[in-house]
Amino acid sequence: MNPEIDTKNKDATDVSSPDQPAGQPQQTAEPAPRAQTESKRAAHSVVVEDLHAYYGAQESIKGISIKFPANEVTALIGPSGSGKSTVVRCINRMHEEIPGARAEGKVMLDDLDVYDPKVDLTAVRRAIGMVFQKPNPFPTMSVFDNVAAGLRLTGTKSDNLRETVHKALRSVGLWGEVKNRLNEPGIGLSGGQQQRLCIARTIAIEPEVILMDEPASALDPVSTLKIEELVEELKERYTIVIVTHNMQQAARIADTTAFMLEGELIEHGPTNKIFTTPEDERTERYVTGKFG
Amino acid sequence: MTELAPISSRRRRSDVVMRGLLGVATIVALVPLVLVIYWLLHEGLSAWSKDFFTTDPNGNFLGYPGGIRSAILGTIEIVALATLISVPIGIGVALYLTEYGKDSKFANVVRYFVDVMTGVPSIVFGLFIYIVLVLARTGGSTFAAWKGSIALALLMLPIVVRSSEVVLLLVPGSLREAALALGAPRWRVVTRVVLPTSLSGLVTGALLAVARGAGETAPLLFTVAFAQGLTGNLNQSMNSLPIQIYNDIQSPRAEVVTRAWGAALTLVVMILLLNLIARAASRRSRLG
Amino acid sequence: MQETRHAFREALKDLESQTLGGMDLVLQQLDRALEAVSYQDVELAGMVVADDDRIDGRYLEVHQGILSLLARQAPVAGDLRIVAALLHIIRCIERMGDQCVNIAKLVPLSGHEAPKDKDLLDAIERMGQLAHSQVSQAKDAFGGRNTDLAQDLVRQDEEINRLNRDIFRRAVDIGDDPELREWAMFMILVARCLERIGDNTVDIAEQTVFVVTGLFREFADASTPPETATTG
Repeated sequence: MNPEIDTKNKDATDVSSPDQPAGQPQQTAEPAPRAQTESKRAAHSVVVEDLHAYYGAQESIKGISIKFPANEVTALIGPSGSGKSTVVRCINRMHEEIPGARAEGKVMLDDLDVYDPKVDLTAVRRAIGMVFQKPNPFPTMSVFDNVAAGLRLTGTKSDNLRETVHKALRSVGLWGEVKNRLNEPGIGLSGGQQQRLCIARTIAIEPEVILMDEPASALDPVSTLKIEELVEELKERYTIVIVTHNMQQAARIADTTAFMLEGELIEHGPTNKIFTTPEDERTERYVTGKFG
Repeated sequence: MTELAPISSRRRRSDVVMRGLLGVATIVALVPLVLVIYWLLHEGLSAWSKDFFTTDPNGNFLGYPGGIRSAILGTIEIVALATLISVPIGIGVALYLTEYGKDSKFANVVRYFVDVMTGVPSIVFGLFIYIVLVLARTGGSTFAAWKGSIALALLMLPIVVRSSEVVLLLVPGSLREAALALGAPRWRVVTRVVLPTSLSGLVTGALLAVARGAGETAPLLFTVAFAQGLTGNLNQSMNSLPIQIYNDIQSPRAEVVTRAWGAALTLVVMILLLNLIARAASRRSRLG
Repeated sequence: MQETRHAFREALKDLESQTLGGMDLVLQQLDRALEAVSYQDVELAGMVVADDDRIDGRYLEVHQGILSLLARQAPVAGDLRIVAALLHIIRCIERMGDQCVNIAKLVPLSGHEAPKDKDLLDAIERMGQLAHSQVSQAKDAFGGRNTDLAQDLVRQDEEINRLNRDIFRRAVDIGDDPELREWAMFMILVARCLERIGDNTVDIAEQTVFVVTGLFREFADASTPPETATTG
């Protein structure tokens, strides 16, 4: 656990630390900081090298190399069918869960190749979390259990499960809304809340990278903005890759933007540049809405 | 102002005709059901008494013929054992088909055979066990309750597999994806996400199988045969409701025939109760 | 099949032609102001002053149109650069209009007698022609996204600056004559207005290059000495 002081979500009457008198700012009680915490704070980048992905015989990613800088938000934009979701699913090796699908190439998480046959697949997915387009909390579990699900499903031991869950809920700004409803079913929340719950579930296991596949496209505008603000905060602790078909969203929250077309990477650069002076004409035509 | 065309009288007529036909079909389907319930109650309720449930059939030619206690308990024992065998295996097969085999050739072959099995007449299962276990005197006995359980389990298995597969397929793929993306090994995805989510459906499927198994007579004829007295020994003949009914209904004595009706009513009521209990339990577990 | 965002593209094209149309207005005003100076035509000068309303009106129209486009259509990349450039250019147009008004206002002040010094007047007229050609060329450069034409405006502007200095010296020379002195000083002011108009066309040239290349380079003009300009 990170010994951070979560200043965004102070809750003076927080139940989880009964030993602290009410009124004091919330500080996560922490045993002696472990060396692991330092590496959690370290920056983790993802480098994709010559990635090819196939659905059966059809090649949908045709040799892509791209770097996702640490602690930055990178957006993948492009028309439907460009392969942006596929790229992201190749990073945490979810692509191969589809029958008949396979991927070739290297995906380096720091200095480890995720596709190395010696690597444990579940460890890869613990380090690289994913948030999906449609919120998918587990219907048989309560709010609390949903957040704890990541830990329980992976068999991760946690010193203080309650603390971890509460901290995750606070990090996504959901604490105030659910602190009295922790034992109610997770699916009883609104769409925007459910999506934040899923994000809390993902960060509870403290991944290094968070992949988001159109996380706000199923939500109303207010929830969308909340998610976007959350992404801004999360990038301090995680490296984030977000697939979006909403160009304005990419323009708002991404530090770097990559434009893909028909399985190829066309242009990749600072978001500011992509939206004011893109280099490739196809990028220009896509962002100005001439096609797509 | 726009004019919306009124419904033509021809359409109105065909609407009425269709409704009428569907109503008739419903009634036609309900009539036998209602009749059965009526006759069961009419003929069988008079057999019900305290003795009916607390004494065993005594085989006497004169006087009180006895109750059906051993039949009730026998059915419970045999069916329980059959359930214990068929439901876990059946759900396991269904899990294999939906989670691992999916669309592979082997999985499709398994599905085909399961479908075939649902059509096999129950007497065939009985004969199969008769030859393989009874004649072979497996376990040191000829007829035995456990052999009947196996015959019933064979009967129940395809029902469990098919209904479980349908229910498991209803679990949204997004839930599996979410669990996998968190880094869960597949077996945990199954036990912690897929099974709990589909629990109530699986229970219903199992109940269907139990209802079927509890009422089958033919397999038990060749495997368990008949016994009058109460026994807990699974390795020998045991009484059971279907066999009891089968025997009693042929008797020349009116009281015995009535007993048969009473036994039939008991069987139906037992299955109904089982249904209600299991549904209540699974509803609670889903919200918990 | 219609290109996507058809309404947006039409709106952007309209805004651009409105802006460039503003430059036609400026040319009209400039010609009339210069004529008024040459012939001491006070009435014509008065019309120039009154007609500045049209340029101001055009400025407001384009400004409003740009705000509306930004709010509703969220232009990006090339489109965004065009919109930003138009905003800049319409301000240049408004300023050039104001310079024409300034020239016109000097006419009644400089006296009703025929101007006295032919050389000075010739220089003013030459400067006026140059200013006219610069405005016209700026309009063509932006409308045609022609960076060569834009670059050439810098050269023309040097010419106009040179003329400005010449006029100043000539005015100083004839200033010894008390009858000519006042008129000559007003001519210096006219020359300065024309020189400002030239500077505005160089601004428009810079915007042209920005729209085409995405780079903003400050051309050498009166305010930016050649040493600090990014392109000569």
